[in-house]
Amino acid sequence: MKKALAMLLLVLVGTLLFMGIYAMEGFRPYGEVDLAQRVSQAYIDKDVTGENPEVVYGISKDLETGSANLVTSIIVNYRSFDTLGEVTVLFLSALGVSILFGSFKGRLRSRYQPNFILRTGSKVVFPLILIMGVYIFIHGHLSPGGGFPGGSMIASAILLMYLADEAFRIRIEGFKMTEGIAGSLYVLLGLVGLTLAGYFLSNFLNTGTVGALFSAGIIPVVYVLVGLKVGSELTGIITDFLKGEVE
Amino acid sequence: MINPVLLIAIPLLLAFVSILYKGYRNNLLVFGALVNAGLVLTLGKGEYLIGGFKPPFGINLVLDDYAFLGLLVINGLFLLITLMSLDKIGENATVLLVALAGLNGLLLTGDLFNLFVFLEITAITAYILSASSRQYQHSFNYLVLGTLGSGLYLFGLILLYAVFGSLNMADLSLKMATADTSQLVIPSLLIFIGLGVEVKILPFNGWVRGVYGNSDSLVGPLFSAVYAGAMLLVFGRIFAQVIPLGAYLKTLLLLLGALTLIAGELAALSKTRIREILLYSSIGQSGLIVTLFLSGLVFPAVMQLFNNILSKAVLFTVAGQMADTTGTDDAEALQGAFARHKLAGVAFTIAGLSLIGMPLFYGFVSKINLLFGVFSLDNYWLPGVILLGTVIEGTYLIRLLVKLWMPGEEGLVSHESHATKAPLEIQRARVMGIVVLSAVLLVGGLMPGMIQNNLSESGRLLDETTPVYLFDLKGGQ
Amino acid sequence: MIQYAGILLILIGIYGLLTETNLIKIIVSLNVFELGLNVFIISVGFVREGVAPILTSVNNHSGLVFVDPLPQALVLTAIVIGLGTTALGLAFARRIYMKHGTLNIEEIGGGIND
Repeated sequence: MKKALAMLLLVLVGTLLFMGIYAMEGFRPYGEVDLAQRVSQAYIDKDVTGENPEVVYGISKDLETGSANLVTSIIVNYRSFDTLGEVTVLFLSALGVSILFGSFKGRLRSRYQPNFILRTGSKVVFPLILIMGVYIFIHGHLSPGGGFPGGSMIASAILLMYLADEAFRIRIEGFKMTEGIAGSLYVLLGLVGLTLAGYFLSNFLNTGTVGALFSAGIIPVVYVLVGLKVGSELTGIITDFLKGEVE
Repeated sequence: MINPVLLIAIPLLLAFVSILYKGYRNNLLVFGALVNAGLVLTLGKGEYLIGGFKPPFGINLVLDDYAFLGLLVINGLFLLITLMSLDKIGENATVLLVALAGLNGLLLTGDLFNLFVFLEITAITAYILSASSRQYQHSFNYLVLGTLGSGLYLFGLILLYAVFGSLNMADLSLKMATADTSQLVIPSLLIFIGLGVEVKILPFNGWVRGVYGNSDSLVGPLFSAVYAGAMLLVFGRIFAQVIPLGAYLKTLLLLLGALTLIAGELAALSKTRIREILLYSSIGQSGLIVTLFLSGLVFPAVMQLFNNILSKAVLFTVAGQMADTTGTDDAEALQGAFARHKLAGVAFTIAGLSLIGMPLFYGFVSKINLLFGVFSLDNYWLPGVILLGTVIEGTYLIRLLVKLWMPGEEGLVSHESHATKAPLEIQRARVMGIVVLSAVLLVGGLMPGMIQNNLSESGRLLDETTPVYLFDLKGGQ
Repeated sequence: MIQYAGILLILIGIYGLLTETNLIKIIVSLNVFELGLNVFIISVGFVREGVAPILTSVNNHSGLVFVDPLPQALVLTAIVIGLGTTALGLAFARRIYMKHGTLNIEEIGGGIND
């Protein structure tokens, strides 16, 4: 009965949505989008004033943002404030999880023992994953990826260690410290921008040549901070979830 | 000129620092709330860019009169409530600091997607705070509904982006004003549902009962005053100032608002637990304020909103305190409770009467204002609905007040069932806090001219005849 | 067409939210809903024949046809926020299980003080 009602409701809502969206004449069919109609063209030209000549990889210098990865330039430059908020959301949920499980001691017992391959293999893979994670967030302005994927990789390495070793416990205080310091530095970086350039989170460093490792101003700095922060937050969430049920 | 981004950056910075120095969490919270409340007074109106990219390409903060009034009241209330219930904070100091940043972000941002981010930040702090009652199933319920709501909001704003190619509120409102309103039906419905969850509009407010009904003297006033106020102001920003509504859609949404008003007040009438009465009254008031915003009566809506949240802060503080110290908040069990707590009783009474809109109190001024506004509309059923809501509200609030002041029929104050079974204790800090709040309500009622002039000074801009006034900052300093 | 597939996923997620009674399944439904939303957002930015919005030594100048980079940036934010709420929701679910010994929402009860 409940399912039939839900189905009926959804069919109704679905039809309404499909028809409504279909009737919106401004809503272009899939793939037929003109970016010049949107704000995005300015992000591709790396110039919101609209007078910049073409950007060429490895040649163009000192643009308003120097990131070769256009998505990164939006995340960390044009819409950096969203990213600060996003980091805050992750911070909050890690905090919430640790408040909920904070009083627990010990570690949750798993029903399965890790086998030999997992125990040995994890020791080999662990440093590789860590290095990959760091690589990803340092090259966030050049290649796909950035602080969030890089941070998740670091946390996944820790999760692997948890799976491979029943007795494995990290010292959560160190991660909390990293989290707090990285977060504070991100906000302070924004405040430095406010004092130097007059705008919160402005890109006050030299943006360099598009495509160089040392380019794009504050983007690599922010991404290193975000990577460390996300890594330690996700590690904190994993650790809190694996805590035992003894209060 | 102080950049309003500091209102967001400072609490956020303090929150990150506070997990490094756990012992000083509460001090950092009080410091942050004090700094914010002080900073609000020094703000200068205008548009502030983030990162230095001009809108619509970058994110901007818009500090107009509307945002300024909101910031003033929200930051002031936040400071007062934190000071009043410091003993209740426990582990939540960091969460509260982030909440302060999120609430200020909600009021300031001029970008729809940035608003989504702040909406999520604020909502997540609310989930965590609501868990302090240890009734986790209600927090879970809230989390699911809240996430669904903000997801639908995101859906709506992406449709707007797909059609108009921008996320900036000012840019969008200009583009939408000339667009065919049939294009806006689906996005505005989705955004309405999304915000409707947070502002407690009828079919989407299933979470309110569990969360408000278990609130203590910190979470109760915080949710019913600070969070509700900020969310309603966001609603007003979006629906009275950014998205133009077509005639049919407007009638539909108005009906939903009016239905929320009547259903909320009727539900309150049938309850005996004080927090339940108040939470349904909150739902009813939300319906009223949403209706006013949708009708374009921004200034009366804001005034009524302030009346509601100032009163609710007092009422929920006392109700939470009652449940805390006596283990019950049933009005029957607490008969005559105010006979021994006269000061708190007076504050509670002032707040209750102001909420109804009795003369002498600020509520009267706001109610007169909104009635004049509503009667000037070309709408024949809305005034009747609002008057009916007021009558119902008056009935149950006065009944409640009488019960709390008068001992039961056979019982006296000294009757053992009241003197021993429900020994109400109210901390001095809380009494002082609610006295301050009720004094504000009283001053607002006795000297309407003062507040009226100050408000309508800014209310000059809050006039429905200039739909895009929001971004016309000529009135600024 | 992928846009409509996204909307379909959104609807499936809402169906799950309406009918499921298991807390974990409710969270899974919420994730399906968010996934559909993310697919939809990405699809809004697709440009036929467009290349990924990264300048490299091959796609080396801004005159090329790129897909819209903004929805991709928004989706990143939406994913991270979804992750945060999922983690918190699972934490609540575990707490509820510890308190009531069940994950079924009907057995927990919806009363104010249950």
